[in-house]
Amino acid sequence: MSAMPYSPVTEEVLAELARIVGERHVLTDPEKLEAYSHDEVADRECAAMPEVVVRPQTAEEVARIVRLAYERRIPVTPRGAGSGLSGGAVPLFGGIVLSTERMNHILEIDEANMMAVVEPGVVTNDINEAVAALGLFYAGYPMSLETCCIGGNVAENAGGGKAIKYGVTERYVLGLDVVLPTGQIVELGGKRLKDVTGYNVLKLMVGSEGTLGIVTRIILRLLPLPTAQVVLLVPFADVRSAVAVVPVLMTAGGVIPTAIELMDRLSVQASCRYLNEQLDYERAGAMLLIEVDGSDEEIVRRDYERIGEICLDHRAQEVYVADNHTTRERLWRIRRNIAEAFKVISPVQSLEDIVVPTASIPDLMPELDRLSDRFGVQMPCYGHAGDGNLHVTVVKDPAEPMDAWRRKLPECLTELYRAARRLGGTISGEHGIGSKRKAFMPLVAGEAELDLMRKIKRALDPRNILNPGKIVDL
Amino acid sequence: MHVIVCIKQVPETSNVRMDPQTGTIVREGVESIVNPFDLHALELALRLKEQRGGRVTAISMGPRAAETAIREALSMGCDDGLLLSDRAFAGSDTWATSRVLSAAVRKLAPFDLVLAGVRATDGETGQVGPGVASLLALPLATYVSSVLELTDGFVTVERLIEEGYESLRLPLPCLLTAGKEVGFPRLPTLRGKQRARRQEVVHRGPTDIEVDAARVGLAGSPTRVTAIERPTLTRTGRIVDAARIGAGRAAAELADFLQEHHLL
Repeated sequence: MSAMPYSPVTEEVLAELARIVGERHVLTDPEKLEAYSHDEVADRECAAMPEVVVRPQTAEEVARIVRLAYERRIPVTPRGAGSGLSGGAVPLFGGIVLSTERMNHILEIDEANMMAVVEPGVVTNDINEAVAALGLFYAGYPMSLETCCIGGNVAENAGGGKAIKYGVTERYVLGLDVVLPTGQIVELGGKRLKDVTGYNVLKLMVGSEGTLGIVTRIILRLLPLPTAQVVLLVPFADVRSAVAVVPVLMTAGGVIPTAIELMDRLSVQASCRYLNEQLDYERAGAMLLIEVDGSDEEIVRRDYERIGEICLDHRAQEVYVADNHTTRERLWRIRRNIAEAFKVISPVQSLEDIVVPTASIPDLMPELDRLSDRFGVQMPCYGHAGDGNLHVTVVKDPAEPMDAWRRKLPECLTELYRAARRLGGTISGEHGIGSKRKAFMPLVAGEAELDLMRKIKRALDPRNILNPGKIVDL
Repeated sequence: MHVIVCIKQVPETSNVRMDPQTGTIVREGVESIVNPFDLHALELALRLKEQRGGRVTAISMGPRAAETAIREALSMGCDDGLLLSDRAFAGSDTWATSRVLSAAVRKLAPFDLVLAGVRATDGETGQVGPGVASLLALPLATYVSSVLELTDGFVTVERLIEEGYESLRLPLPCLLTAGKEVGFPRLPTLRGKQRARRQEVVHRGPTDIEVDAARVGLAGSPTRVTAIERPTLTRTGRIVDAARIGAGRAAAELADFLQEHHLL
């Protein structure tokens, strides 16, 4: 870690912050600060306390805070809902946590252009609720969509459950207002579907994990809301059979499903028990959740029947069909609650996010078995099989001493990441690097690439005050 | 064994919106689903069929679009479906609906059991199941949580009552209204869906089931909705401030409060 000298948050700085956002929105009470010291990464060793939390409401306030921090060399860590999974919103060097929670307004719904202009603190799913009546929707579908904020989605370039058909966050971000680490405000992009005016700084900002700028306003592209949606739940005897069918679906199916989600036995059982779901899951070794959507019920029916038939031809035990909101939601809930369910079972774990080319998923499975045996850990696996992004989770055996776990985890992760790399994959598909995976970057990025990243960071943030200690060390 | 399940198509109400002017549910763009409690009744019927053999008939009164609800029941594993759909039935209240359903059930005899959900999520009356039972002079058990035993001629059920549970032994045929405790509804399978789509859903009107058209529908319904009001929700909080009155007194006050309200 670089020995960049940061200044502490003094009484005088606090007073200045209070002048900017109002005293009520400057938090220093340790009990309140604790909530801002971690994200959803289970390992509390990734947590760090901020010295102060500020809750600005306007871009101008954000800019003034950043300018103050720049002048005084105080680290600033932007934060949305804190539902991240790589330590991105954690203030590693203390200083200021800048929470966007009060910037939670949907500023405009532009029906003619099919766009929404929103502030970063808007809960992702609220956008959908606001535009559904107009027959529109925002296609991002992170699994935490009922709690996460759109600003965090932009910062992490969130993926989610419907990326095979709809892609990830960046596809829908057309414009951003960004406060740079030096305090200037820039407007990037706009309500334009095409734009090659200079470097694509807009896309550089998306997924920069709050290290290059703080987003204060977002222009999102909306799509026509699909009127027909069907979810299939397909149990298989084992994971191998389940993953073997995925490339077949993509090629022979002739359909791009909205989602193909994999849940192995441990994941299904953990989540079903957590939700008290009575579905007949006990004899399934793995399940696929497949969604098809469209604007014509008949076409969607033909599509799901075709997919269902392929599954039955490839050793599916059964194909369950959910074609109304209640049953669809019942099935998606199983998938969405896996991470939460595992935390209840075993709080000591590492939720991973590897991504491999989709056709290589079957080759990844024996690697997981090998690692699980070698390191004596359970490795439940679930995730977005349709796009190759799998949330392998390394779970500590409760009987194992903590120091032994701490020794073996980095080794186990290194092996896992190497296996992904061998198959043409990488270490994070959608959760980001943050602090959690920073040490592993050299496994997948060469020195020239890392150096390029450092140059970009230094050019935009010469004093390294914005979310320092994330992605790469300078 | 022949089990008849009465089901109803209702608007999906997980995200219900009310029209502030009329005070009624906004049905536009709202999906229609099988009443969730009826799904539990269907599940119970299908489990009994799995144990004892026989067949399950799903019946519903509703517009032609309610055929979807019947097909849903068929796709879960019901053998036959019957839709009571006719202009004459439109506007039926619980009384007239009970009359229509009971007439249809009579036509489907012989049967051993008639099942229904405890109530529908749109009307929330819970009257139609018991109404059908009384018009058919069938023994009735409401709020059934499980079927303990089904032997020749009798069924023993456990039902939910305010103080807990009670067991009842009823002679067959009888009518049971099922609560969600009877079992989680199964999901339709692909094969079930395909079978259900090919299957015929029988449509029946008043002459088919021999009911007087004047005694059903709006004309045959004594219920009149004269006004719809939104209840105002009032919650009163009471704060026992330990810092002000001391922990001992606060604890005593809290204990008294809980006892007074039968919470302890």
